[in-house]
Amino acid sequence: MPTSDSGLRVAVVTTHPPGKGSLNEYAFHFVRYLRTKPEVREVVLLADELPAGQRYHFATAEEDCELEEGCGLAPVRVETCWRFNALNNAPRILAAVRQARPDAVLFNVQFASFGSGKVSGALGLTAPALVKLAGYPTIVLLHNIMETVDLKSAGFGANPLMERVIRLSGNIVTRFVLAADLVALTIPKYVEILAGKYRAQNVLLAPHGSFEQASAAPDLDPPPGPLQIMTFGKFGTYKRIETLIEAFRILLARPGSPPLELVIAGTDSPNAAGYLAGLQAQSADLPGIRFTGYVAEEEVPRIFREAAVAVFPYTSTTGSSGVLHQAGSYGKAAVLPKIGDFAEVITEEGYTGEFFEPGNAASLAAAIARVIDDPEHRRALGRQNFIASSGLPIADVVDWYLLHFEELRRSRGGFETRPTKQRGARGGKP
Amino acid sequence: MKMKWRLIGKIAVLEPIGRFDAHNAPAVAEALTEARNSSLKDAIVNLEQVNFLDSTALATLVQGMKHCRQLGGDLHLCCLQQPVRIIFELTRLDKAFDIYETEAEALHAFAG
Repeated sequence: MPTSDSGLRVAVVTTHPPGKGSLNEYAFHFVRYLRTKPEVREVVLLADELPAGQRYHFATAEEDCELEEGCGLAPVRVETCWRFNALNNAPRILAAVRQARPDAVLFNVQFASFGSGKVSGALGLTAPALVKLAGYPTIVLLHNIMETVDLKSAGFGANPLMERVIRLSGNIVTRFVLAADLVALTIPKYVEILAGKYRAQNVLLAPHGSFEQASAAPDLDPPPGPLQIMTFGKFGTYKRIETLIEAFRILLARPGSPPLELVIAGTDSPNAAGYLAGLQAQSADLPGIRFTGYVAEEEVPRIFREAAVAVFPYTSTTGSSGVLHQAGSYGKAAVLPKIGDFAEVITEEGYTGEFFEPGNAASLAAAIARVIDDPEHRRALGRQNFIASSGLPIADVVDWYLLHFEELRRSRGGFETRPTKQRGARGGKP
Repeated sequence: MKMKWRLIGKIAVLEPIGRFDAHNAPAVAEALTEARNSSLKDAIVNLEQVNFLDSTALATLVQGMKHCRQLGGDLHLCCLQQPVRIIFELTRLDKAFDIYETEAEALHAFAG
């Protein structure tokens, strides 16, 4: 059972940089702000195993005064306790939680977080139920729901019969996830679906939040040089760049085309190993295309700042887009797929862009052209996206989770962790 | 959005009017800060005349509540219209705030 003295010890089950699993970027920012909260005394990162030679690194108490967040960050303890595609992740996570004895546990997951295989993916998602049954207040931040995932595009469901089987399995897995104390979703529609279909009473809306704190408006113009058309993410499942490369060919072939560069920033999705290498080989004849490979956290700002436009070559949606929030925070115009759910979500969040038909290179090229050919329009789109990204920083979203944890603990008879005047035992900010 | 604020004893009472969203949340945040700077640790936000609020508005109220609690006080909400109440329920922030049907009840709760 959890134990506490002063402040919360929060365990976060997630991927995290330098790990390259999906949602690592979200976890990076979530943990970064979680550490700044006076209610939090320690963060226990229950992360996936890293390849040999890599390790998780967090600033020590001495180092943290040099960070932008300042002194007094809650310390982070890392326990690597699961491995992508392993079948025993749930019991390993439970054992790690028992060892860490946190006051609350947050799972930062989506349906394929624990494996590309159906069995490993599903078994991993039983972990929240096990952790809750063990007596730990448990919230699952579920970034997508099975009901809206295009299984074919997401790398599952090679045939219709298999897709039906997976959907049925998905319903069962969803029920396991819903066994957590609370399930947080980033889109109102997802809350409606789970509340309606599963009669779930424990689902709630928690906005995605923007990664950076609101700041002065960024430079809306890219640096001199070729206009960079940039896409960012983990590719090969529902983020596919074949159409984007074709669109780039169309743009280059236009008479009087300005100098252009296509920047593919990121890596393969864990479910699509070798995808980018294959396309890089196929497009070797194309001038101006650059594959960056993995983008380290400190390189992310430069990648976005240098871009003239951010393109989202999605074939289906899996909820709100962290990349769009990032693009917004750098004041970038966006070119977005016309997929009902996605358009609805980003419009609700105040973002905008030029839209294209998924899979249609001519439509994508035209959408990009509308942005890069009209600097005023590009700036206007970037400005609106910046305003949208400034709306609700993830730092505020973290506060919502802490309130939910507090409420869960109160309902279980735990002591209250209302913010105190001081930053608690670890001292810190004035 | 217009906003009125007044003092009842040592309790600041804010009354935003109309849409409460990213564009006008700073005005509410400013009023809460002003109350805090005046050493007022308790506040009521009367939402009777608010017909819409967004996530930024919710975040503003959460920050206001946190700051009041840091001072040993609290921030109560009252008089929620149905569309506004639904947003609190959707986010489950209705569990985090002390919400009252009337301003009198919200005031009375501070007395208790």
